Amino acid sequence: MKYTFRGGAHVKEHKHTAACPIEPLRDVGQVAIPMSQHIGIHCTPTVAVGDYVYRGQMIGDVANGLGCPVHSSVSGKVLAIEKRQNVMGTVIEHVIIENDGQGTLAPEIVPRTKGLSETSNEELIEIIRRAGISGMGGATFPTYAKIQSALGKVDRVIINCAECEPYITVNHRLMLEEPMSILGGTQILLKIFGVMKARIAVEDNKMDAVRVLRRARDASRRIRIKIMKTKYPQGDERQLIYALTKKEIPAGKLPADVGCVIFNAETCAAIYHAFVDNMPLIDRLVTVDGDCIRTPKNLRVPIGTSYTDLIAACGGLKKVPDRVINGGPMMGFAQWSLDTPVTKGTAAVLVLSKDKVQKQTLPSACIRCGTCVKNCPMHLMPNYLAAFARTKQYAEAEKLNVLSCVECGTCSYRCPGQVEIVQYIRVAKGAIRAEQAAARARASAAAPDLGNGGKK
Amino acid sequence: MPELLTVCPSPHIKHPATTTTVMRDVLISLTPALLWACYVFGSRAITVTALCAISCVFFEWLTQKLLHRPITVADLSAAVTGMLLGFNLPSTAPWWMCVAGSAFAIVLVKQMFGGIGKNFMNPALAARVFLFSWPTQISAFPAPFHRLPFWQLTVKEADAIASATPLAQMRGGEMDAVSPADLFFGRVGGCIGEISALLLLIGGVYLLVRRVITWHIPVAYLGTVALLSCLAVPAGMETAEYVLMQLCSGGLMLGAIFMATDYVTSPITSRGRLLFGAGCGVLTVLIRRFGGYVEGVSFSILIMNSLVWYIERITRPRVFGGDR
Repeated sequence: MKYTFRGGAHVKEHKHTAACPIEPLRDVGQVAIPMSQHIGIHCTPTVAVGDYVYRGQMIGDVANGLGCPVHSSVSGKVLAIEKRQNVMGTVIEHVIIENDGQGTLAPEIVPRTKGLSETSNEELIEIIRRAGISGMGGATFPTYAKIQSALGKVDRVIINCAECEPYITVNHRLMLEEPMSILGGTQILLKIFGVMKARIAVEDNKMDAVRVLRRARDASRRIRIKIMKTKYPQGDERQLIYALTKKEIPAGKLPADVGCVIFNAETCAAIYHAFVDNMPLIDRLVTVDGDCIRTPKNLRVPIGTSYTDLIAACGGLKKVPDRVINGGPMMGFAQWSLDTPVTKGTAAVLVLSKDKVQKQTLPSACIRCGTCVKNCPMHLMPNYLAAFARTKQYAEAEKLNVLSCVECGTCSYRCPGQVEIVQYIRVAKGAIRAEQAAARARASAAAPDLGNGGKK
Repeated sequence: MPELLTVCPSPHIKHPATTTTVMRDVLISLTPALLWACYVFGSRAITVTALCAISCVFFEWLTQKLLHRPITVADLSAAVTGMLLGFNLPSTAPWWMCVAGSAFAIVLVKQMFGGIGKNFMNPALAARVFLFSWPTQISAFPAPFHRLPFWQLTVKEADAIASATPLAQMRGGEMDAVSPADLFFGRVGGCIGEISALLLLIGGVYLLVRRVITWHIPVAYLGTVALLSCLAVPAGMETAEYVLMQLCSGGLMLGAIFMATDYVTSPITSRGRLLFGAGCGVLTVLIRRFGGYVEGVSFSILIMNSLVWYIERITRPRVFGGDR
């Protein structure tokens, strides 16, 4: 039996790099490491211009609050600390480090001698925090914080290897080449949560990876490999949990509220390396693909490497690019410059020409075909939401649960009328959230007067 | 290296289906029935259909030009309206009727409400009902295999051998006038596109396979008609035979597969589509049995068209993670 959910669409897979082994990329001139690669408070640099830093040395940290530290991915000299735009267009501090090519590891990075059973949960969570691990599927929520918030509430751990976005194959390659790191990371998570059940969810277009994982796991049956139907957005945590457990996460709630906690495959491997090798998160796997790339590849790259270096490592461009995407084509962010660095959330860099991206052939018009309704994984009525957003009737959109939208983009992808449905929905969500925030601010500003308010 | 990169929100790729490809599929799915009409009624069937299609495209272009709207005739939706209007006319329809019907469908029913996706009634059906203003011309059904050549723009009365349609014959108590097989294969009189149930079903299967339509409306519509017909089998007739004749006669197949499934004027939810189809079925049976007119498909669909908004309101899907 294959696990699946209602809605979604089969998006053309484009998994051209599925057979490309992971190649390490070490030869980069300099790296630009953003001081915030996670949801939460930005890091403050802990190094100064001119300092020599080791590979794996912490270069930025958050004193208190939500956030995790950032480490140098190369050894060399700090050239500059300057404000640059990150992938989202926000201006944040970047530490620019010149790579001396030696890759000298920081002296504190030595394999751990203490076994898993002798390590307490508090120690494990601190190890994960210090390693700077944040969700590598793209959301980049600090992993230690996710673990803390879910402790004691869950009865199963789910490892997300669905990889439903087109083009991206890094999780596929990771399962094939390093199954032990995923399984090892899963064991650590099982220990932290004190639960017996872990499920590794893999889409059925990666059956070779399923076989590898099944051979590699231990006989205890605590970790099981589940085969999911290949369908976008199978990797969305709501859909994945529903497919596996038939439980729906209520609107505005988290996986822990239905007893699950879910981690991306590469995050899981990073946890393993943080524990066993004491290695912080400084490299990540990136699929470099798209019709403009001469030789598409899967690369293991130091965080902070510029897209220019990635493209050069893949033989350069063979077509004039129209769009450079950080992440997958369904939910990734278009970039305006090839100087953008790889961050902890960059699973792919796609360079697409005009032939591959969506084009407008006619003025967009909803023909009420109902495709968006049929395919919406959240069971919304996207065409209505888009129409209300277009006419700024946000209250109406809110009544139709616009805030439940996960912005997977299936509606816009499938719309024959070429309506920018999810784009309109984002506008409505943004406006409603801003209004809610403003209302909260008004309420808190008005609060001190409440005592006298009634007597006027 | 690129001059400039495009920066825009996701998704960055698009499924190849567009309004144009959808409409093209509808045109393709209607072609077998048109060729059959050509065989039964002569090549004038093509003249009528083509005249409607060309007029519809012309009026769409003209209205958009006059109203300074973007010209969207390339989406082929006007061509589909025209082809469906032609299918709903007898092969003897005079040329001016085709043009007037097209103008009504496109200008009044479609563009005046805002163009594609905004009309609340099926333009082709509304135009057909408008053309009932000329009752003689719109019901001058030639006998099957009385073929008219394509160059005949107006039909002399001598050529327009008015023949009663199978439904009218059944209404009149002549149950043996046609066999169910004749009805199924389309060896009968009637409007251009409605006669061959078989070829319309083939067209419907094509649309289902191409995922242009879903099964809900045709199945609910035909199923309701079949079920209700079972309850009113006239004396001396086999139930199966009567039900089959009801299903295959008149414009029911054409209506259930191609007209009631018109995106713009039918519900977008699956449950709504079931309700809509069932409503069309009930009304069709009622009109056929108690109405003053032998055929009920056009009226049923138009009546249900006007209820789509309410049907959608009561059949909203339950949001994922919402209250059960």
